[in-house]
Amino acid sequence: MIIKDAVCPFCGCLCDDLDVEIDGQRIIRVQNGCTLAESTFTGSTRLQAPIRRTASGWEMISYDDAITDAADILLSSDRPLLYGWSSTHGETQSFGVHIAELIGGVIDNTSTVCHGPSILAIQEVGHPGCTLGQVKNRADVIIYWGCNPTEAHPRHMSRYTTFATGFFVPEAQRGRTVIVVDTRRTESAEIADEFIRIKRGGDYQVLSALRAIVRGKGNVIPNEVAGVSREQLIRIAEICKNAKFGAIFFGLGLTMSAGKYKNVRNAIELTDELNRHTKFTISPLRGHANVYGSNEVFTWITGYPYAVDFARGIAFYNPGETTAVDILRRGECDAALIVASDPGAHLPHSAAAHLAKIPTILIDPHQTATTPLCRLQIPCTIAGIDAEGTAYRMDGVPIRYKKIVESSYPDDADLLRRIHDRILEVKGA
Amino acid sequence: MNAILNTGRTISQGMAVEHKASPGYRAAVSVCYINPVDMMDLGIEQGARVTLTSRAGRIVLTTRATEMVNQGEVFVPLGPYANHLISAQTHATGMPDFKGEPVDIIPTDETVKDINDVMEEIGGVRYDH
Repeated sequence: MIIKDAVCPFCGCLCDDLDVEIDGQRIIRVQNGCTLAESTFTGSTRLQAPIRRTASGWEMISYDDAITDAADILLSSDRPLLYGWSSTHGETQSFGVHIAELIGGVIDNTSTVCHGPSILAIQEVGHPGCTLGQVKNRADVIIYWGCNPTEAHPRHMSRYTTFATGFFVPEAQRGRTVIVVDTRRTESAEIADEFIRIKRGGDYQVLSALRAIVRGKGNVIPNEVAGVSREQLIRIAEICKNAKFGAIFFGLGLTMSAGKYKNVRNAIELTDELNRHTKFTISPLRGHANVYGSNEVFTWITGYPYAVDFARGIAFYNPGETTAVDILRRGECDAALIVASDPGAHLPHSAAAHLAKIPTILIDPHQTATTPLCRLQIPCTIAGIDAEGTAYRMDGVPIRYKKIVESSYPDDADLLRRIHDRILEVKGA
Repeated sequence: MNAILNTGRTISQGMAVEHKASPGYRAAVSVCYINPVDMMDLGIEQGARVTLTSRAGRIVLTTRATEMVNQGEVFVPLGPYANHLISAQTHATGMPDFKGEPVDIIPTDETVKDINDVMEEIGGVRYDH
């Protein structure tokens, strides 16, 4: 049987045009998807049952015991950290926030080590963004800055930009100019009409130079700015000013490099400057499938998109203090609940090492690099494969994950609901 | 040799990311992409192993030559090996320097560790079932 229009739960593109062929409850083929979609759907190393670490090693336990253990760990903690949330659906994220509020914990999502700085910049100067549909149908100039969609979002160029046919861009690649800005000559750079190779850490300077040129102050620009020639900068500024509709997409090259959120702020202000000449938009290329959803869910419940601390009985937000890496580095939390992410692989080990010192609960379908660090792992369904739910695409459009196959695993939303109810019961509320 | 460590996604890392116990994942993320001129300076050939040492840690990786990376810089795919080297300092932003960690690189005959060994080094206990 073929399931039409399935949604891929890998990256922030949330491609919703996949044909997934199943044989019984086994996925055997994926059509229309990229290689990342294929490997996501067609096989994974899933944990068979809940496991608990004891003094003599690991033991399998029942789901009932695992839920009781998890609730007891969180109940006896003074400073719990609840982290992850980007590889599951909104319903699970919502239960996570409610548990954090109930136990006075800190809840953070993976945008903290992804586009958290972009959110800080947007909070300072706003977000002149748009949906990917607008880009597909209108954009004749595309800029990829500090990102490599060919490897991280393999269908972004074919669905929405370079190779996509749009209503006002009927000739696809021939009607669009693509500019890539990076410190590395990536696969994406090879496709570009213009490649700007900047020196590491030079993003802020190059953005400032472009802003000056667009503002008509090109005469103050030196012959070279962070490895980029004045001539190229002037050429790029002219291409942008002459665009009918321009779209900037930026990645972690801006958020993780020196300057961090100030780089993003400068890019947004360049976009602002370009809007004095033509129509220009800017948007982050979000990594995990539903990381945008974790920002949405956190915001509609708490008012803040990540790094939310309930220790005072109210929602408190102060990135740099209430962010997961900082709390772990300081050894501040005395228990952790990790859901739908792998801090063992993706956080600096000098922070992640603290997870091994405290009772850490991991709710994740797979055996991951966090498994050795946790005391208790509870396997669950995979959103978009054996669980349905809501996810948000990188442009903020909500898309419903389909359940492709049935499985015997519990949904992580159900696991968290049971942990939530158990905590409520013990607290006597 | 001193260099700046850059980390990020690759297609092979993405394909194996849900299979972390697999040899494919280990191979995809225990690689150090390095400019061929820097390899000549180190006196090594493609596939040779190097030890990277940062202010946060030390790890052995397999080299792969590429002109995509500038001289004086190296690229290691996002994962437990790269994060063994990244400092947890965030300069009050919440975001570590994933794209700017200074490292020292020397050739080595040591082998690349298994992911479980890396996680045990930071206090974990392997699950081998």
